[in-house]
Amino acid sequence: MSLFGTTSGFGTGGSSMFGSTTTDNHNPMKDIEVTSSPDDSIGCLSFSPPTLPGNFLIAGSWANDVRCWEVQDSGQTIPKAQQMHTGPVLDVCWSDDGSKVFTASCDKTAKMWDLNSNQAIQIAQHDAPVKTIHWIKAPNYSCVMTGSWDKTLKFWDTRSSNPMMVLQLPERCYCADVIYPMAVVATAERGLIVYQLENQPSEFRRIESPLKHQHRCVAIFKDKQNKPTGFALGSIEGRVAIHYINPPNPAKDNFTFKCHRSNGTNTSAPQDIYAVNGIAFHPVHGTLATVGSDGRFSFWDKDARTKLKTSEQLDQPISACCFNHNGNIFAYASSYDWSKGHEFYNPQKKNYIFLRNAAEELKPRNKK
Amino acid sequence: MTICQFFLQGRCRFGDRCWNEHPRAGGAGGGRQQQQQPSGSNRRGWNNTSQRYSNVIQPSSFSKSAPWRGSRDQEKPSFGSFDSGASTSRNRGFGLSQNPFASPSSDEQKDEKKLLEGIVKDMEVWESSGQWMFSAYSPVKKKPNISGFTDISPEELRLEYHNFLTSNNLQSYLNSIQQLINQWRNRVNELKSLNTSTKIALLSDVKDGVNQTAPAFGFGSRQAVTFGSPGFPMNNNSSDNAQNFSFKPSSGFATALAGSPSVFGSAPAFGAAPSASSAITTSAPTFGRGKPEITSAASFSFKSPAASGFGSSGFSGLPASMAAGPVGAPVAPAFGSGSSVAGFGSPGSHSLTAFSKSSGDTFGNSSISTSLPVSNGSTTTDNVLFTPKDQLTAEELEQFQSKKFTLGKIPLKPPPVELLNI
Repeated sequence: MSLFGTTSGFGTGGSSMFGSTTTDNHNPMKDIEVTSSPDDSIGCLSFSPPTLPGNFLIAGSWANDVRCWEVQDSGQTIPKAQQMHTGPVLDVCWSDDGSKVFTASCDKTAKMWDLNSNQAIQIAQHDAPVKTIHWIKAPNYSCVMTGSWDKTLKFWDTRSSNPMMVLQLPERCYCADVIYPMAVVATAERGLIVYQLENQPSEFRRIESPLKHQHRCVAIFKDKQNKPTGFALGSIEGRVAIHYINPPNPAKDNFTFKCHRSNGTNTSAPQDIYAVNGIAFHPVHGTLATVGSDGRFSFWDKDARTKLKTSEQLDQPISACCFNHNGNIFAYASSYDWSKGHEFYNPQKKNYIFLRNAAEELKPRNKK
Repeated sequence: MTICQFFLQGRCRFGDRCWNEHPRAGGAGGGRQQQQQPSGSNRRGWNNTSQRYSNVIQPSSFSKSAPWRGSRDQEKPSFGSFDSGASTSRNRGFGLSQNPFASPSSDEQKDEKKLLEGIVKDMEVWESSGQWMFSAYSPVKKKPNISGFTDISPEELRLEYHNFLTSNNLQSYLNSIQQLINQWRNRVNELKSLNTSTKIALLSDVKDGVNQTAPAFGFGSRQAVTFGSPGFPMNNNSSDNAQNFSFKPSSGFATALAGSPSVFGSAPAFGAAPSASSAITTSAPTFGRGKPEITSAASFSFKSPAASGFGSSGFSGLPASMAAGPVGAPVAPAFGSGSSVAGFGSPGSHSLTAFSKSSGDTFGNSSISTSLPVSNGSTTTDNVLFTPKDQLTAEELEQFQSKKFTLGKIPLKPPPVELLNI
């Protein structure tokens, strides 16, 4: 996948070979552009699980559509299919067997898209836009978990129109992540709840937020034994908190770090602080990637507490990111995330999804 | 730190600057409690130990307390209610323990200073950094949110934009955004300038959170602290109610929102509503406990916009709205819609300042604070300013009834309204 110039994308790919002469900064990292990317901001990305041979990428956008591409090892992306909602799509996820894609939308519903038949049916209903959707596969049950701005967390058996369970949230659900048997939900007003999913989902603990501002994204990480052990929480204030659920030494083990800010340590000029739009953990190395409104992505090693790499600045914010199942591909979407309000919204601006080879850059720093 | 001997004798000439410790725990609680009474009398005769540092303690505790007392009624209702909750809970604790040296005061002061400095810094950074405005904020992680900041995610805002776009009502979207921004700016400036009343309100906000075990998610649960566990379920209900009112505004928001029923439909009211809903959440439980004095202030600022134009005209309605009738849920809708109208109908800046300014500049220090205890002779105000007779011990009652207080037996609770000769 180390292809460089074969951006099978929009025509602009070719000129960037000479890099410096063009002022077009939409792909400073020279990553692979995904063909026929959505027409409006991309809210969510998700790669297929290992059960599916090959790599398939799903992206939900504010143009009310969900698109699916096949990503080949050569780097070529082939658009495969598309489904529509009646409102912007806020979150997507795959089922564990790779046959279905679940999509959550502002039209207060969530749909299940069967890729083989290319049919999508509604499986969930809320009173407000559905912000998060995750597939839970437990030994004794499987369900879809949807978190919504109506302050509820609902669990759906896809065959029934009534939820299996409804859990109340203290506030609107802003982001969530699930790695069985743990689920984390971050809500408005700095709410943070951890659920345990064994047997049936139940609230495990409410955590006082380690961050001072609005929660924006959350991702669970696993320990060496591949068990979920904590999560990373990103806020609008350019900060990520690493929080362990049961650390031996909470004061020392939990920490926060600043990211996605402009001019590092020059204290003279005020820093520009950007929101962290997405966090993703590398499935093999356990290192994490963050993407922000500043149009950069960064790779971090949370155990060595160091930064591994920061990208060049793209001309648009990076609104979503995702690793594929084996960690070879890092996908990130460059599109406007509304971080500066409606004035900076340009419907004509193209939205991109880039694919990067992530096998090498995310290797953890060796602790000396 | 060593305890300052001069302070104990009431003659430390360094005052706040003194490097030794000035234990003032009892004085602080008592000072707040007894603010409405004329300054001199009660303190001198209040307690044997307090008498020693009465001269010195007055300036510090009163400089904080006096505007607090005044602002209690006029402040943004959320603060007011919190203050009352905080003070009563603390006062009861002090009253019970009768131990003025109980809490470490100077450390508290230092922490407070640090906290306030931290807040000022954070506000400056927030303003200059261009980060997302519509976010909840807390000065120290793990502490509850400071009121006055609404949490709106960019997606919610964007969805609203799209909805308004399709309904061709972009102007009202822009207006509501502008209002939200103004409100945020006001709040940030307020926190940056930090006059004494905001300080006190903030400190009580933060401290209430410290006491609680459950994490504080915004206003509703904060109440849980001050009222203990029984308050919690109430709060949840009330906060739900409150939020419902903000969220399903179709009646109240008809003017501005062209029928978009979504979350953001309330979000502009969010800007107003957090003060509203926080007032509501706080008011509902406090009403339940019969402490509507602060929340009556809330009702003043909220009902008045509903009734008339915003601002001073609202105050004429003071006693009327206080009619302590069906409190809780039935009242809350009035708040919800009241606040929404205030948020939208009236000229933006005026209403917003009235909402957000805690120092009560709009209301002035004069009429409200002094008139309230007098005019609100109804029993509902008792718990804040006065204690109902049944809550006093026999000894305390005797003290109140006698012509003069006996040293060493001065009650820590305010007198019942019945015994006052005004």
